[in-house]
Amino acid sequence: MDYSPLGFDQNFSGAADDFPSLLRRKGLMNSAVIDPMTRNGTQQQAWQPTEATTILAFKFSGGVLVAGDRRATAGNTVVYDRADKVLEIDRQSIMAIAGVPATAWEMARVLEHSLQYFRRTQLQEMSVDGKVRALSKLLRDNFGFVMQGIGVVVPIFATYDGNSKPEARLYFYDAMGAQFEATDYAATGSGSPAVRGILYYENNWGVKPLHELSEEEAVSIALRALDTAAESDTATAGVDRAGKIYPVIKIVSGEGITTLPENKIAAVFKEMVA
Amino acid sequence: MIEEPYRWVEAIANRREYVEGQLAPGSPIAALGYRDGILFLTLGQTRQKLFEIYDRIGMGAIGHPGDIERLRMAAIELASTEGFTRSAADVSLRRLVHYSLSPAMKSAFEQIYGPPYLARMLFAEVGARPEDDLFLRVEYDGEIASNGATYARARQDFAVLSGTRQSRELMEAFLKTEHTPDTSFEAAANSALDAWSIGHMLLQTDDAKELPERAAIAEHRREQLAVAAIEAAVLERDGRSAIRYRPLADKELRSLITQ
Repeated sequence: MDYSPLGFDQNFSGAADDFPSLLRRKGLMNSAVIDPMTRNGTQQQAWQPTEATTILAFKFSGGVLVAGDRRATAGNTVVYDRADKVLEIDRQSIMAIAGVPATAWEMARVLEHSLQYFRRTQLQEMSVDGKVRALSKLLRDNFGFVMQGIGVVVPIFATYDGNSKPEARLYFYDAMGAQFEATDYAATGSGSPAVRGILYYENNWGVKPLHELSEEEAVSIALRALDTAAESDTATAGVDRAGKIYPVIKIVSGEGITTLPENKIAAVFKEMVA
Repeated sequence: MIEEPYRWVEAIANRREYVEGQLAPGSPIAALGYRDGILFLTLGQTRQKLFEIYDRIGMGAIGHPGDIERLRMAAIELASTEGFTRSAADVSLRRLVHYSLSPAMKSAFEQIYGPPYLARMLFAEVGARPEDDLFLRVEYDGEIASNGATYARARQDFAVLSGTRQSRELMEAFLKTEHTPDTSFEAAANSALDAWSIGHMLLQTDDAKELPERAAIAEHRREQLAVAAIEAAVLERDGRSAIRYRPLADKELRSLITQ
């Protein structure tokens, strides 16, 4: 551990410092700078969204279900078939990521540490709005890399708001950091158009609306949606029947985060999907 | 003034006396390792004295709130950047205290034109087994006392902090006979409360060499519990989550207290 000059500065106050600025102060994080001068020559080369994956989240009777397939790709190559894109940020928040894994995982790591750093230094939990905004700021800081075509991240954020009106909350973002609160469901990544279609259909004309589904029903819909996305999108794995690799499914509720064990997902898959 | 060595020694001695005087009324803090973790406990009415530093590290402190705050921030900052750049497993209390806090506190104390830190701190880091628990007490002059075995003393599974030396020593003497590391949470909470009561009683008497009577301890404890709130926190040994620090509410403990 290095010597921290500011920490021992007699005029130091920790009140105004957040974790990303601590990292910047120590030279551990650099924001990409958007420089129009150097971009001029390639301005015509339009930015291609390359968030090759599918993640989805929707509210059901037991909270918010967040699911992500396991495939990681580079161009048309499958790099990894056990990637975990549904990440726990704190005891009640999940960030699911679509986009460039290196940037996304690093962003999740910064966010996770930011929330803990805030709680430890300020001696209170960060509010849900504060957390949502913190992720938005990280996306905004990353926009220079997005413009260079390396490092686009489009996350979903699910959390439980334990304040005066306790409820599960769900947000999705665009690559520039705009946040949108979803009332029922959200999906991002290359396979998301199909998933959005399914969730919209289920929510309006399905047996019951999404928010009334039991856990098993919710899991079966998530699996069906990911399998459908995988049908046309090569960057999405769905359920790997031969390799017995199932999507990662986590649930956020008042009790915190539950990661569904693989055998439970397999059982639902066998009974209601396959 | 500094050119003459004996003046410097004199200045340091004066400063020591001043700091000791400032810290003397500080309410005691006890940290006890038990089967499932480490319990921090103190009683107070006003300021928070127990803090989370990192996943497995907690801190208790007495002294000036401004100084405690600066040291606490420095500790959190160092632990957080280490945990972020390497991993949470690389954050170690031993390194944090020995390499960062202690040298900074020593130089602040000995540079007599600048202000010293008016703070005395107690750190604990929970390990996988009770024998891996680490307790460190850091003085205003950077002096470190650990719970490890020395040539004159066996390893201890607790550490305490108080305003005066005699108060601290009698709390330690009490816990040495009363506390074992494989005890339950309930037993640890009661021992910690008794130790606190002893420490608190001793702050009010000038020259006690021996532990107070059992009945007197119980009486004092009852009186204080009626007026002050219990401040406590645990570092859990086996947690589902990486974060082991958990503050305990006053009412969570009240029900466990045997009168």
